[in-house]
Amino acid sequence: MDNKEKIFISAVVYVHNYEQEIGSFLTKLITELESRFQNAEIILVDDASSDQSAEKIREVSRSSSSCSITILRMSSFHGLEMSVNAGNDLAIGDMIYEFDSIACDYPFELIFQAYQKMREGYDLVSVSPDKNRRYSSWLFYRLFARLTDIRMDTERFRIVSRRLINRVNDDNVLIPYRKVIYQTSGFQGARITFQPDLKQPQLDSAAGRFRSTLAMDSLILFTEFGYRFSMAMTVSMMLISLLMTVYSVIIYLAAEPVEGWTTTILFLSIAFFGMFGILTVIIRYLQLLINLVFKRKHYHFSSIEKLTK
Amino acid sequence: MNEFDRIIIGAGLYGLYAALFCCRLGMRVLVLECEQDAFQRATKINQARVHQGYHYPRSLSTAIRSAKYFERFVQDYGFCINSEFQQIYATSSVFSWTNAAQFRAFCRAAEIPCETLHPDQFFHSNMCDSAFLTKEYTYDAEILKTYFRKELAAYTDNCTLWFGVRPKAIQAVQGQYEVTLPDGTCVSAPFVLNASYAGVNQIISMIGGEQFRIKYELCELILCEVNEKLRDIGITVMDGPFFSIMPYGKTGLHSLTAVTFTPHSVCYDQLPAFACQEQSSDGCCATFLGNCNTCPARPQTAYPYMKNLAKKYLLDAYQFTYHSSIFSMKPILMSSEIDDSRPTVIRVHSSAPTFVSVLSGKINTVYDLDEVLQNG
Repeated sequence: MDNKEKIFISAVVYVHNYEQEIGSFLTKLITELESRFQNAEIILVDDASSDQSAEKIREVSRSSSSCSITILRMSSFHGLEMSVNAGNDLAIGDMIYEFDSIACDYPFELIFQAYQKMREGYDLVSVSPDKNRRYSSWLFYRLFARLTDIRMDTERFRIVSRRLINRVNDDNVLIPYRKVIYQTSGFQGARITFQPDLKQPQLDSAAGRFRSTLAMDSLILFTEFGYRFSMAMTVSMMLISLLMTVYSVIIYLAAEPVEGWTTTILFLSIAFFGMFGILTVIIRYLQLLINLVFKRKHYHFSSIEKLTK
Repeated sequence: MNEFDRIIIGAGLYGLYAALFCCRLGMRVLVLECEQDAFQRATKINQARVHQGYHYPRSLSTAIRSAKYFERFVQDYGFCINSEFQQIYATSSVFSWTNAAQFRAFCRAAEIPCETLHPDQFFHSNMCDSAFLTKEYTYDAEILKTYFRKELAAYTDNCTLWFGVRPKAIQAVQGQYEVTLPDGTCVSAPFVLNASYAGVNQIISMIGGEQFRIKYELCELILCEVNEKLRDIGITVMDGPFFSIMPYGKTGLHSLTAVTFTPHSVCYDQLPAFACQEQSSDGCCATFLGNCNTCPARPQTAYPYMKNLAKKYLLDAYQFTYHSSIFSMKPILMSSEIDDSRPTVIRVHSSAPTFVSVLSGKINTVYDLDEVLQNG
């Protein structure tokens, strides 16, 4: 009789040109999951890797005995968020590990420890390094926390419950940034921190660009940052135009302006007033459009390849 | 007295149907079956759908053909058909090759009824974007077998069924095919029908005929006990890595299958070669397939996987528990990989003497045989 956990566990691993690291990571992950859980599956979301990552995965997957391994290949580069969403959609586990990166600067026991933490009654357990973050990430999380009261951090992986995934899928048709959605889903979460080894995970240029775009998008989508800023600007500009109108009328009546000055200024102020009015409407429209786009799911995958079981 | 008008290899539905058809025409028929009884493999071990075409939303030709025979099959074999349940087809929100609008258009084109339901009635929200009530039944292999055996028994003079034998060699000799059995017995007929399903290429190889291009899948069908709520409902989340759970004939059990977990291992060779054959006890090998269901080397059940997949979709109100697993070998025509079609292929290898092979994955297209049996 073994002491394996009876639960069905899924692991979604994001893979993008990781041919160097994926082999050893996957080997360790298979061993860990098979020794701890009775039923496990690993879904490797291959985000249009141009290297030999998929070949490496096929090679390693032969060593799995009970664990089901699937490669979900995205048809073009979709970025981390959309790819892991696709992996989550395919996963059938009661709990799902999400490996955003395969950088393994933490002790591997943390994987099971995160699960044990879940057992204490959490729906979300994130595993983060306690320091050594990139400065840009640090700045982003600070700014985000300031604007929204949502505290986030760099995470290596996390484990989420089926209940949470279901809730999140109910509420959102499109999930642009999982961390925020998970945090605001209304379930209890916990965080485990670790002291990272020296090696820093490397991102390739596409993944790096993706992250900075994601940071900007998240600020605009989840905080009212962009909307509020532009609204404030347009409203104040409209006020200034109004003042200009009043001012030019006063000057016309009280002093002797140069001929043509009053008409020019009046025309300009009224035109600008109208312009800013239109801008306000446009910004409102854009905000609406963002909300509408949220209602569409749009990723495309090219194949689902079952490797074992 | 070992000369017959027809020799039929395989006592599945296609074999026994052909036997009865020929007996009724007054021919003398011999059926050779390696199992100890009829309907022991594919006829019994499948989802038991009486297809009306819903299952093939990307192959209109297969759908139309199934629909054409549906009414006829239901009329002829109504006694073995379970029609007392609602068959629901649903399209998954993600990873499906077919969406709601496409399925509706397909049903219209194939002229088969489909009524739109609300998916939240059955599935967790946002898992499926549509659900349809369809008209599809399942048959009970056990009842059907009893019927065929009884009917055939009436033709004592014309019909001979030999169980537990398999051909060792087949050769054409002066307008006849001579089939040699392992004990040395030799039987002959001017017409041989090869209806051995997964064994089809193995039999063809004996006459050196052109083999079917097929792949083999070792498949598991799980039988489940279900709660009241699920009892009179069959559910198929179609066309993609999904699952089906539906009444298994009139047994009171439901069958559970999943596209990704039902096949345990696959073989792309012309003849089925599997690693597990070494451990089989009935001499299973590439040239003779044993019975996967009774094999000591049959795989461990994939129930935990299928269960989780189904539970991910189904509302908690629909409960099912494991009863048992049955295994069988399934040959799939390679040409149908893309459009997921399941044509009935009838190949005439030679005439006078005639050798015909049939391969079909559907029960109700058995009538496709009529023409070749009549004229052969």
